[in-house]
Amino acid sequence: MAISLQHVTKTYSSANGPAVDGLSLDIPQGHITTLLGPSGCGKTTTLRLIAGFERPEQGSIAIAGRTMADNQRWVPPEKRGIGMVFQDYALFPHLNVERNTGFGLKGPDLKKKVQSTLDLVGLGNYLKAMPHELSGGQQQRVALARALIRDPLVILFDEPFSNLDTDLREQMRQEVVDILQRAHATAVFVTHDQREALAISDQIVVMKDGRIQQQGSPREIYQYPETAFVASFVGQSNLLPGTMGTDGYVMTALGPIPCHHTHGRETGEPVTLSIRPDSFEMDPDGELEGTILRTVYTGEAIDALVTLGQGSTACNIWVHIHPEEQVRTGTVLRFTVLPHFVAVIRGDA
Amino acid sequence: MSNSKHPVMGKVRQAWMRHWQGRPPSAGLLTAAFFGAAIMIIPVVYVVSLAAEAGPGAWSRLFTTRVPTLWWNTFALTISVTAASVTIGGLLAFLTLRTDLPGRGLFRWLLAVPLAVPPYIGALAYILVFGPRGLWFQWLGSAPVDIYGFVGAFWVLTLFTYPYTYLITSAALRRLNQNFEEAGLSCGVPYWKVLLTVTLKLLRPSLGAGAVLTALYVLSDFGAIAMLRYNTFTRAIYYQMTGRFDQSAAAVLSLLLMVVTVLVLTVERFTRAQQAFRQDSGTYRKPQLIKLGHLRWPSLVFLGLILFSAVLLPIAVLLYWTVLGWNQGTVDARFWQFAWNSFSSAAAAALLCVLLALPLTYLKSRYPSRSTAALLRIAYGGYALPGVIVALGIMIVYDRFLPVFYGSLSMLILALTVRFLPQSMQSQDAALELVSPRLDEAARSMGQTPLGVLYRVIFPAILPGAAAGGALAFVSALKELPAALLLRPAGFDTLSVRIWMESVEGFYAYAAPAALLLIAVSMLPLRLILNRY
Amino acid sequence: MKIQPLVVLLVFFVAAGAVAEASQLVIYSGRNERFVMPLIEAFQEETGIRVQLLSGDAAQYVHRLQAERNNPRADVFISNDGALLEVARSMDLLMANDSEALEAIPEQYRAPDGAWVGLAARTRVLMYNKDMTTEEEMPASVWDLADPQWHGQFLITRPGNASMVSHISALRVVHGDETTKNFLRGLMDNEPTIVRGHTDIRRAVGAGEYAFGLVNNYYYHLQLEEPRDNHVGAVYPDQGEGEMGAFVNVSGVGLVNGAPNAANALQFIDYLLQPEPMYLYSYNSRETPLVPDIEAVSDAKRIDEYRAAELPLGQLGPMYNTTLDLMEAAGFGE
Repeated sequence: MAISLQHVTKTYSSANGPAVDGLSLDIPQGHITTLLGPSGCGKTTTLRLIAGFERPEQGSIAIAGRTMADNQRWVPPEKRGIGMVFQDYALFPHLNVERNTGFGLKGPDLKKKVQSTLDLVGLGNYLKAMPHELSGGQQQRVALARALIRDPLVILFDEPFSNLDTDLREQMRQEVVDILQRAHATAVFVTHDQREALAISDQIVVMKDGRIQQQGSPREIYQYPETAFVASFVGQSNLLPGTMGTDGYVMTALGPIPCHHTHGRETGEPVTLSIRPDSFEMDPDGELEGTILRTVYTGEAIDALVTLGQGSTACNIWVHIHPEEQVRTGTVLRFTVLPHFVAVIRGDA
Repeated sequence: MSNSKHPVMGKVRQAWMRHWQGRPPSAGLLTAAFFGAAIMIIPVVYVVSLAAEAGPGAWSRLFTTRVPTLWWNTFALTISVTAASVTIGGLLAFLTLRTDLPGRGLFRWLLAVPLAVPPYIGALAYILVFGPRGLWFQWLGSAPVDIYGFVGAFWVLTLFTYPYTYLITSAALRRLNQNFEEAGLSCGVPYWKVLLTVTLKLLRPSLGAGAVLTALYVLSDFGAIAMLRYNTFTRAIYYQMTGRFDQSAAAVLSLLLMVVTVLVLTVERFTRAQQAFRQDSGTYRKPQLIKLGHLRWPSLVFLGLILFSAVLLPIAVLLYWTVLGWNQGTVDARFWQFAWNSFSSAAAAALLCVLLALPLTYLKSRYPSRSTAALLRIAYGGYALPGVIVALGIMIVYDRFLPVFYGSLSMLILALTVRFLPQSMQSQDAALELVSPRLDEAARSMGQTPLGVLYRVIFPAILPGAAAGGALAFVSALKELPAALLLRPAGFDTLSVRIWMESVEGFYAYAAPAALLLIAVSMLPLRLILNRY
Repeated sequence: MKIQPLVVLLVFFVAAGAVAEASQLVIYSGRNERFVMPLIEAFQEETGIRVQLLSGDAAQYVHRLQAERNNPRADVFISNDGALLEVARSMDLLMANDSEALEAIPEQYRAPDGAWVGLAARTRVLMYNKDMTTEEEMPASVWDLADPQWHGQFLITRPGNASMVSHISALRVVHGDETTKNFLRGLMDNEPTIVRGHTDIRRAVGAGEYAFGLVNNYYYHLQLEEPRDNHVGAVYPDQGEGEMGAFVNVSGVGLVNGAPNAANALQFIDYLLQPEPMYLYSYNSRETPLVPDIEAVSDAKRIDEYRAAELPLGQLGPMYNTTLDLMEAAGFGE
């Protein structure tokens, strides 16, 4: 493991509860891991604990097998061999690109090294430029070069794309991932943007209130959310109460719904079901019938709020409808439910 | 748009519209702003013209005898005070904000107090203690140092100017983006080295701003320097003005001093342009305090020494002499008459400052153009003008254009206005900056005329800022010495004038109560100043 | 908006003018305020006329009178230097006064037209600390101040001091410009301590910080009366045969040309010339009265007890500016 956190707790004096609460986490070598969660969930604190800008009260942190912080040991940030890219890039405004990148480094081949690192991020011709002369994307690349140049054990990214425009953000995202993969670097990102997390990560760690909600590949997180929080934070989701049936069916007010991911719940146990809007497919022979209450046209799909069932069993759910369909408020439709994006949520959320 | 009847006029009109980007200000606003800038520049123009009229004899006489010494004295004092003041101010800001120094919360406030002590009062206090027949001499039989001359002037000016750098650097340290330091650490550089190569470099603009303010102050100070008998340009100008009934020599020396001042301002502009980097505000995070460890006691001693020298000692000494004076009955009806003179003239000047600043700052925030920038630069340029030069300029202007009013109180009030208009502009400027032009547009869309907008929207919105600017100008005007000495009408001695007259004659029991009262009043708007930084 | 500042400014001018009108006697005084105040208080008491006093250096008030000549604000000009009174008169800043009271003062101490009148004499002396030197060891002549023997041991006032300027003017009259200039250069080479005023000199000599200093005689008398640091003496310089004698200057009062309160001004000048105020005038400062009948400070030399330089003060007036230039050229300038 590149990084290993064991039972780490960190409390700020001004806060009510701990910002990070007994967190244990392994981050594998050569992969991109993303800490995802809303603001205040402890993801940035976790990153700063790894970097050494914060000290844990309890627990231990090891990087590349070397203990950086525990009851006895404390390695200051400058000795941890990490690289960091800040949300605002934190390029030293008084130094040019070359000196920013080579900051704190010495040696005869420094110039060559700076050049090759800047070549890697595509800024080989900007050595003498000052930070304020660069665009946001270019500043981002310098920040990345500065983090890469000392071949760090791990590079930490604190909301690195949030200061960029939407178009540039997606482009930079891809470029950064490419560069990291070419450099075989281990990286930890912090973000509150679930789309970003899904797009760049090998592993996502969803956090809330200082604890890990779920950890897994983007596909696992999206398809099989384990908690109601994950289900609603990562993508849209409809949450329905039900009872575990047989053969992978869950009995709900809407009838039996097929589900592949049941966490081994026993038949008859009450459960909560997460159904992604994509799980509903328009089907004239479908077993569910509903009336459209509202539609939102997004280009990629039509998000429709549909009332299913009648009387006391009626409930509103979001479904995705193919954008070519002609539907409007009041249209009555029939659906079937596909099992791919249906998951039983662990009851502890 | 163009007027077909008068093609030339049409062209002019077009150029005019282009100049204002299609939105020219009203003639009234423009006139008022122009008037404000004119008041600032005209005295300077006439000092220069009088200097130019001085015969070559006066120039060569001054250049061969006085100027080299004055130049050397002025430079030596300015450079050494600036260096010491910036070092002390910067160090104090760092100690109180970034270390675990005990009592730093209290120190942060206390360290700004010397700002309320005009240096000439500080000089008075030091003469009372360390002068040839001061308290020290009386107790111990010999004066420890010769307070008169370079040493005294250096020490007193350093003590009472360090707050400039201290406040500006404190503000910068508070705003400083922590990420820069963390980025430095993440590059594997130890903390002390990050402080030197990153933090200190990022503080350079504020240290520079502190240095410029300090240097300009030292160049313009008359009271402390004259009381401590050090000879610089301002003192020479003052004595040329009072010792001769021909002022061309004073004008020549004034011109030379202005050249030095402009030099300082140019260096400042140049270096500021060089350091035109901005700091993205980023995410603010409370910095981790540095543990002082074994440096804790030396730091406390250093801080204590500064506070003792710049706050405790002067105030205690003045209190002692005030008590003596009180018992001798020096705080009598005459004293309160002087106080009233001070307050009324300062209040009139402050009011005038606020009113004159309004059109200028309003023009700047709502009608940006090259001529606006020029007007503002002229108006702000006055902040570097020493009181003696302002007084000289006002004298010349009145002599040539307003002889009927020569010797009236308006001379003093106008001089105080010229001297402190930039201070009130600064506060108004900051306040206006916060009032979005969208507010004007909203009011216009709801049927208000431009004048209505000004009175119903702008003025109420910036009133606190304008009042703060007025308060600062008021306190500064209260403390102003040379302009009051030179321009007051008969029977209109102010507190500052009395402090000067009594202390040069050695009647300290008369000077101390006035000094203490000035300090007490100056403390009141200290909060405003602290809030600004 | 557009008229606001103008209106405010206008109000100030008018108000400021009104303040000036309200006063009843305006005095510009180049004399130490402490010497003048008791007289003014007595005058106010006696006549009920309210006095507005402006104290500073006499030369700057000559400039001010000049600037205000078209709209005079002052009524009376008190000067600590006779030459400056003559300067003001020659510039038409003072006007003739035919009051009979002036005749109390000997003719050589007043302007022919009575525009100014001297009230007390002040003699340039070398005041010394008796603990540090003796009368015999002291320099006997002002010229000795340029003698390297006395390097660094004495004090003089700053060059702008009117008494100093007129003293140098007197040297020019007696010895010519070149000799005077050389003397000044020698004086500067001796690096005397240059202080703001005579009070600084008497205090420093009294306290034994310096052996001696060049002052007006009454500062010596003032120091004698101090409760301590009073072991001082004075040398009246240049008393030998063929020498110029001690330089005697006067302080006095002039009537401002076009004085707005001319009647009160005349009343004030007449008042000063009465025996009691005249005594007060010289006694306050310990100057020597110009009228022999008026009692002088007990230990002061009477004016006929020493050799005084014989110079009509009026002659020094026109020299004032050129003397300053000469001093400046010799390195003794502000």
